Amino acid sequence: MAIAISARSLTKSFGRREVLHGIDFAVEAGSVFGVIGPNGAGKTTTMRCLLDIIRPTAGEVRVLGVDPRKGGPELRRRIGYLPGELFLEGRVTGRKLLAHYEAVSGPVPAGRINELAERLGLDLDRHTRKLSKGNKQKLGLLQAFMHQPELLVLDEPTSGLDPLVQQEFHAMVREARHRGQTIFLSSHVLSEVQQTADTVAILRDGHIIAVESVSGLREGAVRRVRITATGITAHDAVALLTGVPGVGKVEVLESNGAVTLSALLEGPIQPLVRILGSLQLTDLVLEEPDLEDAVLKMYSAQPEEAQ
Amino acid sequence: MKTTLPLFRRAFFDTWRSTLAWAAGLAAAAFLYLPLYPSIGGSALMQDMINALPAEMTKALNYDQIATGPGYTQATLFGLIGFLLMTIASVAWGAAAVGGDEESGQLELTLAHGVRRVQVVLERALALLLRVLILAGMVFVLVSLLNGPSRLGIEPGNLFGAAVLFAGLAMLSGTAALCVGTITGRRIHGIFAGAAVGVLGYVFNAVGRQSQDVEWLLDLSPYHWAYSNSPVANGADWAAAGWLWGIAAALVALAAVALERRDVGA
Repeated sequence: MAIAISARSLTKSFGRREVLHGIDFAVEAGSVFGVIGPNGAGKTTTMRCLLDIIRPTAGEVRVLGVDPRKGGPELRRRIGYLPGELFLEGRVTGRKLLAHYEAVSGPVPAGRINELAERLGLDLDRHTRKLSKGNKQKLGLLQAFMHQPELLVLDEPTSGLDPLVQQEFHAMVREARHRGQTIFLSSHVLSEVQQTADTVAILRDGHIIAVESVSGLREGAVRRVRITATGITAHDAVALLTGVPGVGKVEVLESNGAVTLSALLEGPIQPLVRILGSLQLTDLVLEEPDLEDAVLKMYSAQPEEAQ
Repeated sequence: MKTTLPLFRRAFFDTWRSTLAWAAGLAAAAFLYLPLYPSIGGSALMQDMINALPAEMTKALNYDQIATGPGYTQATLFGLIGFLLMTIASVAWGAAAVGGDEESGQLELTLAHGVRRVQVVLERALALLLRVLILAGMVFVLVSLLNGPSRLGIEPGNLFGAAVLFAGLAMLSGTAALCVGTITGRRIHGIFAGAAVGVLGYVFNAVGRQSQDVEWLLDLSPYHWAYSNSPVANGADWAAAGWLWGIAAALVALAAVALERRDVGA
């Protein structure tokens, strides 16, 4: 499998403050790679190194096979970039701004700009500085996607977008991936990344603390369980559940008449289901595994820092 | 679709309102001052008044030459109000060109596209140059038009030389602003640098002319290099023009090298 981005011992210091402590990762061509981590973890710094906006202090970076320091405009034309904080203050319309970026990084297929603007619901004839945050973000996405670059580097792409537009964005990512484009995106929440990404790297305080496939995260993830049963005392129910492998944090929510319990389940669900079969259940909720919890566990050296 | 000089085009055309406003200001200054010459500068009464002023003051304001049409034009338009307007415009554009763009966060996105950093500096400096030339060219045309009606008696060749120096002085301040703005990534630092070049140049000239003890200040004053021999009256000192334009070009080159070597938006 070809590698679209690789970083080896990527280190970056600003003055005496080191913000990336030698990170390693590789992104397969044609995949969606998500980086998550709390604010200040180094996501934006990593992305800026890929675009040669800032220069690594040490380590080796290859983007589409080229060192970004040497790739020049030719390399950057093959990349679409959305900055983490997008500022568009000019007294120009969105259409003119996009024409400018097309002139610099083009070519853009005919009709592509209008098609994307329509999908995202963006009025291209308004002055950019009058656009709301969400609409500026749409314009930012548009300039990154329009020339169908081999690689998309998107820093917090859905920030400021309403849920419907977020869905549209996820569709755009899937289409891009289908077309063979590679996507490298960041977020501080996993739920956003898990919908689109194949692989997730977790960055914290300038270290990559885990690189996992989303399906791998799902397997190791924790599900919340809530049951309501009759004909059993709270005490017996707790004892029963606690005996199931992988179940923990059993709590009694209610115990007058029917008993309602909540618990966390890690690992396979079969043993739990077998035990539940012996109960007179009136309600059962087995939640979708919460990858957020799986990730928070990885952060958990100092859980209070992890969002 | 391949466009030549896309960054220059954007820098130039997106600021046409600003260019137009400064042009209107300069035109207003020319139309206010020059037609007054026959009734003010040329009259014996005015000369008496000037003679009554403290010599230090007339020297500081360059009003010692105000009794002739070329001297009047030199002192009022090229030396004072026009110089002021041009310097402010050029410094504002120069500081915004790269430093302001970085500070507002927009440079990051531009650099992520298919451009070279050197190209960003050069094309934006070119946009600054063209705007300054437009303003200076307009002043040249307006003074030429008012020359006859206002009985100024300016030689066209001398006027041309003065306009070249006028533009060169503005470019010096503007490129100082561009250079320091680019090096620091801050618009305000660029503005300080550009304003310092303009204001200190003017002050060093005004003070340096007061006595021989402080004459050395004149050597540090670009304003003095350009205007010491009253170019509207006597023709340009082309060596001075060479220095102004040469230093301006060097400042642009320095800015290009500086941007090439540093982190942006960090």
